[in-house]
Amino acid sequence: MAIVAQTSKFAKFARPVLAWCVGLFFFFPIFWMVLTSFKTDADAVKPAFLLFFTPTLENYLNMTENYDYWRFAQNSAITAISATFFNLIVGIPAAYAMAFNPSKATKDVLMWMLSTKMLPAAAVLYPMIFLAKGLGLYDTHILVITVVSLINLPLAIWMLFTYFKEIPKDIIEAGQMDGVNTWGEIKEILVPLAWGGIVSTALLIFIFCWNEAYWTVRLTTIDAATLSKLIEGNRAPEGLFFGRLSAVSTAAVGPIVVIGWFCQKQLVKGLTFGAVK
Amino acid sequence: MSDRSLPRLLQTPAVLLLLVWMLVPLSMTLYFSFIRYVLNSLRRPEWTKPAISNWRGFGNYEFVLNNKDFLLAIQNSLLIVCSIIILTVVLGVFIAVLINKSFPGQGIVRVLLISPFFVMPAVNAVLWINMILDPVLGLQGLAIEGLNQLIENLKNTPLLGNFFSLWPEFEPISFRATQTSAYAVIMMVTWQWTPFAVLIFMTSLQSEDIQQKEAAILDGAGAWSQFRFLTLPHLGRPIAIVVMIQAIFHLSLYAEIEIVSRGNGNKNLPYLIGEFANNNIGAASATGIIAVILANIVAIFLLRMLGKTLME
Repeated sequence: MAIVAQTSKFAKFARPVLAWCVGLFFFFPIFWMVLTSFKTDADAVKPAFLLFFTPTLENYLNMTENYDYWRFAQNSAITAISATFFNLIVGIPAAYAMAFNPSKATKDVLMWMLSTKMLPAAAVLYPMIFLAKGLGLYDTHILVITVVSLINLPLAIWMLFTYFKEIPKDIIEAGQMDGVNTWGEIKEILVPLAWGGIVSTALLIFIFCWNEAYWTVRLTTIDAATLSKLIEGNRAPEGLFFGRLSAVSTAAVGPIVVIGWFCQKQLVKGLTFGAVK
Repeated sequence: MSDRSLPRLLQTPAVLLLLVWMLVPLSMTLYFSFIRYVLNSLRRPEWTKPAISNWRGFGNYEFVLNNKDFLLAIQNSLLIVCSIIILTVVLGVFIAVLINKSFPGQGIVRVLLISPFFVMPAVNAVLWINMILDPVLGLQGLAIEGLNQLIENLKNTPLLGNFFSLWPEFEPISFRATQTSAYAVIMMVTWQWTPFAVLIFMTSLQSEDIQQKEAAILDGAGAWSQFRFLTLPHLGRPIAIVVMIQAIFHLSLYAEIEIVSRGNGNKNLPYLIGEFANNNIGAASATGIIAVILANIVAIFLLRMLGKTLME
């Protein structure tokens, strides 16, 4: 018995310590990036200044001058916000139709939608460039928004569908009895009831659109280039600009990580399509 | 009862959009993969326009399959995807079991752990390859320099100095070099996706049967056999889903490979397609079709599994 008591005491102490170590270990690179963003470029590569240094805001204050940060951030915001709205406007009616008026084909339609998400983007790289240039849309917001919307649309519909499915059908049908038309049903009954689910869908889709790094890099040069393109352009600063590069990176991921903290529970649902409970 | 055709019509915009999105570029890729099509050719200017008269049959496929870069790209894709999946699943199960029981600060640890998943891939790669893995100025370089300094100092101490004088100097590893760049990619993507696995396994662990577990404890089952015979089987399905979702995402890794090594010695299929697409569109398209076929093989398994739970 003594041994059992001892091991459990050990486990009681060791588990939290180990868990905290793991958590801190995974967070460390982000912490390091944020810390470095407050060092001057010179301090950032001196071992003597690893943890103890005079913090400076100069990297953040000079972001516009060094990288033209706000223009890229603005493009990222325009792309992500427009694509999120587009996804909701097209996705909510579609998910409504499939959740409350399913036909025999609904399941296959959903599966097929998901399968479009699984196509490797690179396979259609050249046709996309060809079409974009042919239509005169290369490096425009409209093109980037459309492409980023369409790659996330299956995910949006799936997430909305899993949320809508949890709403009892009776409530929607009661509306029909009262003579509410389809549009009214969505606007007056469904959207208020599923508001939480719609918001988490919007947040997750926003995160994915903001972080998108294939099409936003390949289909833009300057005018519609997003933060992904800006960061990729500075892939090898040779240590000269660690401070300022950290600042611009922190500014690019900070808001998204914070939004992510708030929707981590919904992430499971969204990414596994309700298959893990 | 009431007319259901209008509500059903509401899914048409989404279906049509996705249909166009999928069919138009993909059929163009298919067409280009069967013709000779290059962007620049002084010798054969007729090949620079897509035309049916440049029909090449399976020539592009033959060219791609005999290209030594193609085999390397397949090998590399497999190495990267398989390593990431194994690492994330093993780490994910371990960490999920570790932090599943409540302890002081559990909520904070969860938040710390999930954060890497939301970092944009470009930032992830730039951060790791420069500030952490750089052999001179990154943390790796600084740590190894510090270690060498320490050993150097120890060599001068009496008594112990003789022992330390036998130690070699440590050499930092350059992860931008061709052979090691794949490991850098594996490291950074594992860092980013382990949180995803943890999150899913934790969600699943919360539905584990407590009574069954208590009964097992009463029967004298140790921690290991509880884990082996109760927890692990319970996690079977989430593990399968994590494996397949990651396979689909990581088969199309691009930004990390571009940033780490510009594909030097470390191309995967999407990278190879990008390189071909600088001039040889026919070859790029043929590689694209091959990539689609590979992705479909994984996708079919995933869709089958999801399909079962979809309508319950």
